[in-house]
Amino acid sequence: MEKIEITLTINDKLREVSVAPNDTLLEVLREKFDLTGSKESCGEGVCGSCTIQMDGKPVRSCLTLALEADGCRIKTVEGLANGDQLSDLQESFINHGAVQCGFCTPGMLISADALLQNNPKPDEKTVRKTLAGNICRCTGYAKIVDAVCHTGNPDNQCPDCKTGQ
Amino acid sequence: MSDYTIIGKRMPRIDSRAKVMGKAKFTADLKLPGMLVGKIKRSPYAHARILNIDTSKAEALPGVKSVVTGKDTEGVKWGVFSYTRDQQFIQMEKVRYIGDEVAGVAAVDEETALEALDLIEVEYEELPAVFESMEALASQTEPIHEDFPNNINVHINIETGEVDENFKRAHYVREDTFVAPEDSYFMAEPYAVAARFDYDGCLEIWCPNGGPHMKSKPLSNAFKIPLHQVKVRKITIGGAFGGRSEICPADYICALLAKKADKPVKIEFTREENSIATRQGHAMITTHKTGVDKDGRVLARETTCYLDGGAYISTGPIAVSVPFLSMEQVYRMESVRYNGYSIYTNKPIRGMIRTHGRCFAAGLDTQLDMIAEHLGIDPVEMRLRNVRKPGEHTNTKSKVGSCAMDETIHKAVERSGFKDKWGKLPPFHGIGIGTNAVQVGFPMGIRGGSQSFIKFNEDGEATVMSGVVDNGQGNDNMLVQIAAEELGLLPEDIHLVSADTETTSSDPGSYSQVSTFVGGQAVQIAAANCRKKLFEVAAKVLKVKADTLAAKNRLIFVKDNPEKSIPIKKVVRISLTNFNSVNAEGGYWPKVDMKREWVSNPYGQMCEAFSFGTTIVEVKVDPDTGQVEVLNATACQDVGKALNPLVLEGQFEGAIAMGGQGGMLTEYHEWKDGRCLNPTMLDYKLPLACDMPNIDTIIVESIEPKGPYGAKEAGMSIAMSAAQGYSAAVSNAIGVYMDSFPLTPDKILAAIKEKKSRPQNKES
Repeated sequence: MEKIEITLTINDKLREVSVAPNDTLLEVLREKFDLTGSKESCGEGVCGSCTIQMDGKPVRSCLTLALEADGCRIKTVEGLANGDQLSDLQESFINHGAVQCGFCTPGMLISADALLQNNPKPDEKTVRKTLAGNICRCTGYAKIVDAVCHTGNPDNQCPDCKTGQ
Repeated sequence: MSDYTIIGKRMPRIDSRAKVMGKAKFTADLKLPGMLVGKIKRSPYAHARILNIDTSKAEALPGVKSVVTGKDTEGVKWGVFSYTRDQQFIQMEKVRYIGDEVAGVAAVDEETALEALDLIEVEYEELPAVFESMEALASQTEPIHEDFPNNINVHINIETGEVDENFKRAHYVREDTFVAPEDSYFMAEPYAVAARFDYDGCLEIWCPNGGPHMKSKPLSNAFKIPLHQVKVRKITIGGAFGGRSEICPADYICALLAKKADKPVKIEFTREENSIATRQGHAMITTHKTGVDKDGRVLARETTCYLDGGAYISTGPIAVSVPFLSMEQVYRMESVRYNGYSIYTNKPIRGMIRTHGRCFAAGLDTQLDMIAEHLGIDPVEMRLRNVRKPGEHTNTKSKVGSCAMDETIHKAVERSGFKDKWGKLPPFHGIGIGTNAVQVGFPMGIRGGSQSFIKFNEDGEATVMSGVVDNGQGNDNMLVQIAAEELGLLPEDIHLVSADTETTSSDPGSYSQVSTFVGGQAVQIAAANCRKKLFEVAAKVLKVKADTLAAKNRLIFVKDNPEKSIPIKKVVRISLTNFNSVNAEGGYWPKVDMKREWVSNPYGQMCEAFSFGTTIVEVKVDPDTGQVEVLNATACQDVGKALNPLVLEGQFEGAIAMGGQGGMLTEYHEWKDGRCLNPTMLDYKLPLACDMPNIDTIIVESIEPKGPYGAKEAGMSIAMSAAQGYSAAVSNAIGVYMDSFPLTPDKILAAIKEKKSRPQNKES
């Protein structure tokens, strides 16, 4: 199949890549750029494991063609930390025990990060509704919701907001 | 006992940093030089004879590097027990379910591999198929396996006490039947396996697993190579829930493709394949007949359970037993008769799932509530009169040690406000309670124990080797916590080498809740042995007796005079300079009755400990739509000792989601002629963040004398009791005792309608 050159800004770095018209963004990120943090779990846009940000909006990279992302800013889980310095959201996930098997974690973080960019102090209901597109089979979501709500907004009743401070 | 430094603390997990950075490698993330893409050709028929397989066109396709069929195999059959070996990894004569493996291909890319699959021509002769256990029992057509004429592959009979006599003297007897279809694991990570052979003929393999040593042995059997030549490597695992405990045919097919192509091969399952071609929970039909005295105490129970065992049986004897075990562990019964059957059907293969036997357990508690209502006893009192007490024996002769069952009930009742709410809530608003108990292990023969090695490095840090695997529940962190506590180091000083069959000793795997109890205890013992060696050297330096020393924060110090101390690093260096070993080993083998056998002798000490859990759930049902809104769930478990409350709470919360919210409200498979209609995440309804109620977790510590620091297991009796609590709450809300699970809106609406049409009899 004919390859087409596209340009992506992935985690603040300008990248050029040639892709087939049917390559998904997820395939290109995982295979061409070795960014395997984004996961394929359902392959049909239901579970949210492949969620990345395209120009700041969370999208399913398994349902997005790489061609559609031409010229866009892409943020993946690998772009959340600043070098070894984790983001507040990542620290909060660790301290609240929001990570179990970790397979849904990258997509969950990207969805939550997009939410917090627009709404730094979301209430619990908003967080639950926003994360409804990210399926977690391990945690029952309680600690994930706490981790997001308490990011940059510590709750002095929460024993896990003190950890790491 | 509370002066632990690391044990009992809310310690964030050591593996979470790599996971939040997207750096943790799962099997699908692996890239090996020259790696090929493997795919599996599966049967489109539920039951058919294979007449011919022609792979010539596939082999001729450019880019195809190897094609395998049953002819390439050694013909070895798989099954956990010698008497359940009925599954070839690639079928040669017959296929027995839609999805059964018939061939495999490895090619340079996915497109080529998929094209090659289509080029494999398989000629079938379709055979009559059976899809339900009752139908399979009565079937007059060709049996699914020729050695089993009526398709019964396991029958377990347990009988203790005077069952018939006790029914005669019972004050009240009732018999009810409960049903539930199949449920699935839906681990976040779809199954994947990567394999390669090296120049020495050694197989190296990466795949999600419930125990690496449980993978290496069947692979060595299947390839007829020595065990040491199978190297199952550690890899991050995206959930198991009981569904990754055994070898998967794909493991063998991937390795066989790699061998034939002489290149590494990786197979990644689609979500559909993960649902139909790994394992599933069993469909079950359970009849409980229970006789009680006038105070509601169970005098006799007769339970009959039919499990739809699917096409191949493997762990069937365990699957048939476990629902019964939970019952006899949590409830006292003066006498009991159990007949459990696993029946072959032309449906996918089955395994144990986190809430194994939901209709069995939820049915049991539903019936207890029915009996309690008849006798005018409230549900809490009914349970308190019947639940297990410490020091007792189960019906099948396991002594129960630590047991804080009563305390879990009292605490959950208090926290949830059950007494103020039960019987006083408005219409369609209900509250219910479930109680359960889970065995911490069972006799596992040669792999029943775990061994650990610990070596100190020159820099004073330690490497811990253990066969324990982490499926996502936090086992790696558990091992590090234990080693750090015992050695007096910080968690970051402990380096774990685990779940690799080349470097670690035999271990039971994360089966039947033994990782902490057996594997963790092995590390505890190894670390204590290691510490002892350091203390002997430190004692000489400090000129004190070794038994006066303690270790904490990288220091060895005199207990009564902590100022007198020496860094562990220094002790290690002194030891090495003076030719003293600073390595140690330790092992733990639970003292169980090795003569106990699932079918031939289901009596004797099952395991050394049992966990006990209570879940109370409050719901509102919409009478117009049948939708259930869960307001609150209270989960309380006797865990023995909470090694890490942060991790434990996460286990309880996940257990409520899978056992209760999903298991009792939405999750089930639908079928048409043996074809699973909802294998995807779109069609199979998993709980979402917006569905989940507030969850109150309560940890009760009974300090089990035989467990490490008193620990038992984390959260399984919550998963089980959640199913019971959810069903009890819905039944309470609608005033109808439900007998078909999960409690989907259609069933709830039908029950409400049926109740309305009933002539006015007594209200619940």
